[in-house]
Amino acid sequence: MKDPRHFTFLVGGEAGHGVRTAGTIAGDYFGELGRYVFQMDDYQSLIRGGHNFAAVSSATHPIFSQYAKADLVVALDARSVELHREHLCPEGVLVYNIDALKEGVADCIGLPLSELAKGLSHADLRLGVGSIAVLAAATGMNRAALADFIGRKYVRDSENNVAYALSVYDVAVERLGSQWQLGKGDAPPTMLTGNEAIGIGAYAGGLDMYFAYPMTPASSVLHFLAAHASELGITVVHPESEIAVMNMAIGAASVGARTAVGSSGGGVALMEEAMSLAGMSETPVLCILSSRPGPSTGVPTYTAQGDLGFALNQGHGEFPRIVASPGTVEEAYRLAAELLSLSWAFQSPSILLTEKHLSESRMTVSIPSELPSGPSPAIDDSEGEYGRYADSENGISPMRFAPSAATIKWTSYEHDGNGITTEDPAWISLMQEKRRRKRESVIAYLRAHACTNRFGESGPVVVTYGSTTMSVREALSVSGLEARVVQPVYLEPFPEWDFEDLAGEEVVVVEQSCDAQLATLLRRRTSVKVVASVLQYDGRPFDPEELAVRLKEVL
Amino acid sequence: MDDLATYAENTWCPGCGNFGILNAFKKAVRRLETAGVKRQDIAITAGIGCHAKIFDYLNLSGFYSIHGRSMATAQGMKLANPRMKVIAFAGDGDAYGEGIAHMVFAAKRNADITVIVHNNGTYGLTTGQYTPTSVKGFRGPSTPQGSVEDPFNPLALMLSAGATFVARGYPVRLDHLSDLFARAILHEGFSVVDVLQPCVTFNNTYQRYNESVTELEVVPEAFEDSMAAARRTDHLLIGVLRHVSSSPYHRELLGDVVPADTRASAARRRKVIADLFG
Repeated sequence: MKDPRHFTFLVGGEAGHGVRTAGTIAGDYFGELGRYVFQMDDYQSLIRGGHNFAAVSSATHPIFSQYAKADLVVALDARSVELHREHLCPEGVLVYNIDALKEGVADCIGLPLSELAKGLSHADLRLGVGSIAVLAAATGMNRAALADFIGRKYVRDSENNVAYALSVYDVAVERLGSQWQLGKGDAPPTMLTGNEAIGIGAYAGGLDMYFAYPMTPASSVLHFLAAHASELGITVVHPESEIAVMNMAIGAASVGARTAVGSSGGGVALMEEAMSLAGMSETPVLCILSSRPGPSTGVPTYTAQGDLGFALNQGHGEFPRIVASPGTVEEAYRLAAELLSLSWAFQSPSILLTEKHLSESRMTVSIPSELPSGPSPAIDDSEGEYGRYADSENGISPMRFAPSAATIKWTSYEHDGNGITTEDPAWISLMQEKRRRKRESVIAYLRAHACTNRFGESGPVVVTYGSTTMSVREALSVSGLEARVVQPVYLEPFPEWDFEDLAGEEVVVVEQSCDAQLATLLRRRTSVKVVASVLQYDGRPFDPEELAVRLKEVL
Repeated sequence: MDDLATYAENTWCPGCGNFGILNAFKKAVRRLETAGVKRQDIAITAGIGCHAKIFDYLNLSGFYSIHGRSMATAQGMKLANPRMKVIAFAGDGDAYGEGIAHMVFAAKRNADITVIVHNNGTYGLTTGQYTPTSVKGFRGPSTPQGSVEDPFNPLALMLSAGATFVARGYPVRLDHLSDLFARAILHEGFSVVDVLQPCVTFNNTYQRYNESVTELEVVPEAFEDSMAAARRTDHLLIGVLRHVSSSPYHRELLGDVVPADTRASAARRRKVIADLFG
């Protein structure tokens, strides 16, 4: 019986075959074995038909990526057979739905998955349940345990789901029974998608209100927070446009509610004018920007890192912006909390930049029992005289919120200390300098805190960021390649100080951008010597084994 | 001393209709105060344009927003603290051009804000271009041969969108206008007061309005009658064209919760997260 370093299960089919749910439940299946899980959904921008697949990799050690080569593929339709035949490990097995094909496939195992579902309502949607039964049969789960597992996981019409799963199990066990005996691990039991972690992280950081308009791949932050709004005690609002989203969030923040917004590139572009308003009016707001391949509508359900420059330069005019990008789902949780705190402490907009690959992938996480800590905002809730933009050494004017006996004026215009419009050159300079000093205060804070992650002790330097960090870490882990990975978490203000000891060193940059935007940023902001870029910009995340081969060529 | 005034220098043109709006609004605030509304519970927002200077001239808290967005800013403030009375000032370019979606949706969802539209049929601050409410043939620097578009009828538009309080006022009838403001602010739900504001420099409509403005005595009960009143062209009817009661958006969405006041404590957040992932 086989027990490889990591085990990858891939289920493919049409939208409407229950593929995404099957992926999640396969993740739970491995999770219940105590294994670390990384689950990636590959789906298209459509509701029925097309081709979807879920790749679920697991191991007894922490795992940071799905693998393209699967140990077990379950193909629910003909197209999945064609597309995923090449994606098998040397000892991998492909099981296909014999009812979806006109003829048998050599070296693969055909099972009557549709035939067995006949007579059940939503027969097509149950095919995903069948794929879990195949997984269970192949990895040694017994019949009773499968019945219990399916009953718990497919709760809607569970009786029929269990019956169907057992009928598939019975035919599958004969053909591929217990080929694998997967090792049990001691992974923590929690699995989260990046977007769930971001939502709950913002909540941990004090979120009161979330405003968003749907846009893939950020929508699931909205869905997650809306589903849990009452138990969390927060308010979730879906208004008419991203323009309304950002302006409402700013209005709400100005009377004391901690707000966040979220979208992908196109939606954030619509928010951009108000991002600048947040800069001028010194309104705290957290913006979640989850990227997909652009420009424009681009490829809605796939991944890319093409919005780095866009995020760093959000909003016209000069004002402090805080931009950071998490390298794991766990880090996304912490960073969402931290960015909301920083926005409030420095009364500035912040952007949590991420990608579809992190937003919608699901992995094993450990959420600490204590809330993440962050700086506290300057609040003046006295009864005395008040000027919203009173000058101060660190550029931070304490906030007070209406209703108050004092007059509190927030404004988009250049202003005096009380928030009254001015065109006076002395006031203009003073306020520009105040905002500049605020940026220096952000830098002083960041310098005293961890802004850059490093992994690995020796070997050449690989610089990467965001979800690509996970691909790089897994590539090194699977290949045994030695390298020092440097991952700037904060991107604006850029932590130049974290690169001082690397001055003059040759580095390889890995990112999912065609223009190599991170490499450009490093050339501008650090003294490292970028000697090679490893890029991928086809919408797909890196495969760790392929990435390892490409890294070997350049390191 | 006028405690509703600030030290900001007033730069409206002499004779501008905005003076009447400012004075009528101050009068309305004082009237609301005698009716028990606390001044500190009143917040204002403004768009960008001549109208918006009112933000600097009023000693009230709020947010000087950007062009077209004062209605969105106001809705955010109201949702975060529904105890406040939030008034959004807007120009006709703000309300019926750049920000028309916010108007239509605020009316649709019955957001409990008051929008005061300084409708002067021109972009005054940018030197007199035609706006969504300019008459066809309006000559401005962007339409030197005259605008070829028919104007919106903003009140008919707001009625169609479901506004629960719709009024039109005229600054020359200052007491009447002030009364409209107070009633609009006290209305629970979306209220809009479209103010026929002459622009002495780019669109001087005093004579036309003086001749055609007529006060509506009774608030129409039937929607069709409100619509007919909005569409009258022989006379420009001023007064309340529609006033119906309907549960406001914040109550539907929040119940009695005040997000800015009743923030979940750190202890609650820790417990909720532990329960979700424990």
